[in-house]
Amino acid sequence: MSPEISNQSLLFLIIFVVVPLSLSYFYQLGMSKNIIVSSLRGTIQLFAIGYILTFLFDLNAFIGIPFMITVMIVIASFHARKKGKELPYVLPTIFFGLILVEVSVLSLWLLFDMVEFTPSEVIPMSGMVIGNSMVAMGLALERMKSEFTENSGRLLAALSLGAEPKQASHLIVQRTLNAALIPNVDRIKTIGLVQLPGMMTGLILGGVEPIMAIKYQLVISLSIFSSVSLSAMFVTLVMYKHFFTKNKQLLDSEEALKEYSSRG
Amino acid sequence: MIEFKNVSHGPLENLSFKIEQNDRAILFGPSGAGKSTMLFLFNRLKDPEQGEIFYKGKPIEEVPITTLRQKVGLLLQSPNLFPGTVLDNLKYGPSLTNSWEPGAEEKLLEYVQLPLDIKDRDVDHLSGGQQQRVSLARTLANEPEVLLLDEPTSALDNKTAEDIEHVLKELIEAHNLTMVMVTHQMDQARRLGTKGLFMHEGRIQETGELPGMLDDPKTKELKEYLQE
Ligand SMILES: Nc1ncnc2c1ncn2[C@@H]1O[C@H](COP(=O)(O)OP(=O)(O)OP(=O)(O)O)[C@@H](O)[C@H]1O
Ligand SMILES: [Mg+2]
Repeated sequence: MSPEISNQSLLFLIIFVVVPLSLSYFYQLGMSKNIIVSSLRGTIQLFAIGYILTFLFDLNAFIGIPFMITVMIVIASFHARKKGKELPYVLPTIFFGLILVEVSVLSLWLLFDMVEFTPSEVIPMSGMVIGNSMVAMGLALERMKSEFTENSGRLLAALSLGAEPKQASHLIVQRTLNAALIPNVDRIKTIGLVQLPGMMTGLILGGVEPIMAIKYQLVISLSIFSSVSLSAMFVTLVMYKHFFTKNKQLLDSEEALKEYSSRG
Repeated sequence: MIEFKNVSHGPLENLSFKIEQNDRAILFGPSGAGKSTMLFLFNRLKDPEQGEIFYKGKPIEEVPITTLRQKVGLLLQSPNLFPGTVLDNLKYGPSLTNSWEPGAEEKLLEYVQLPLDIKDRDVDHLSGGQQQRVSLARTLANEPEVLLLDEPTSALDNKTAEDIEHVLKELIEAHNLTMVMVTHQMDQARRLGTKGLFMHEGRIQETGELPGMLDDPKTKELKEYLQE
């Protein structure tokens, strides 16, 4: 396979769009416009990113890398925040959490010479770390909210027995972290069996030796694994406090009381 | 023991009353009157929007919250046991202050009339009545001075309810506890209570001795409530 795809070949990609388009047309799914717009938008976005990356890769590493990482973290923070908008201090928590994760991972990469400090390596790898951490934080927030609602009776019981908020929410923190980590453990377990990881596929297509590609994949997979764990732990341990008042009362106890009395 | 002065909170409007030591007070009244809310205030699971609450003559905020909560034990309406074994649940309160004494489960399970060998059972495998007893034993493990009970038997069948009632009566007498209990069952109120607080739309409509006030209601609201 040639590592270069010509522009003419690229044009034939239209066929791939024509398939869903005709499906939508014949079965009157009413999605034609959406399909065209999405495909165009996706194409333009990718090319735009391509040009931006080319531009960034040419920049001095000490300018390009911090710039791009900041942009990614800001966007990711606003995105993950949606999962916990009603909670206080979500945005700064996520923002600092992502910085913490990225800085730790990047330091390890550089310290042990796994990644070179050039934009072309650091930016895409960081993108994967930040993207996955963002998802993990969002999931942890959502999970924590539902655990708090589901277990409001137990939380009240624990508080009423004299537990500190930290002790009372131990179970919830545990469950949230558990839920955040299990899919990752599973993902690592089956890696490469069902589907080759995207990055590895990309490297192999780009002409890199499989073993070399695997080394990169290992670095990124394990980095993601650990940053996802760290992210989930960070938001959970910082955010659980905001479910309580300073007088060690469950913040949503109006709701909890309603829930609790309607059960009896 | 506990005094409310002009307390308002949510459904509760300007309540003033006293619970004396060794009172066995029964809080009763229509659904939504604010009975559970009141128990939450006693245990400081909530703070009043207005007014003051005193515990043994001291403003309630001056007692450290966790200490107060251990002294004024609350049994919630549903057992709300923690996942794990019966023993895990019994230990929970005392362990928070490192005061759990190994073997204490023996006495606690005896109080609530459960066999000792139940201690290693997973709480998910217990019946509703057993769970409620474990929950009661868990509250008692903190050795509270005041026991707040929110409809402790409403979710149970008659036989189990009677057993629990019996257990409560013995416990309260044996330990000189002050009790505040919410119940909808007037026969239960007669059997267990010494003092009645009838709540209606967030106010204490009528108070009196039990069972006297039930036989001779003064207000029309209480009369209506008793007729239902
Ligand atoms: N802070 C608050 N502000 C406004 N409403 C509140 C507040 N706290 C509780 N309520 C409402 O007051 C009502 C009475 O609550 P509560 O559970 O105390 O009644 P109850 O007497 O225990 O009723 P039941 O017999 O059904 O258990 C509920 O509808 C609850 O939602
Ligand atoms: Mg109630």
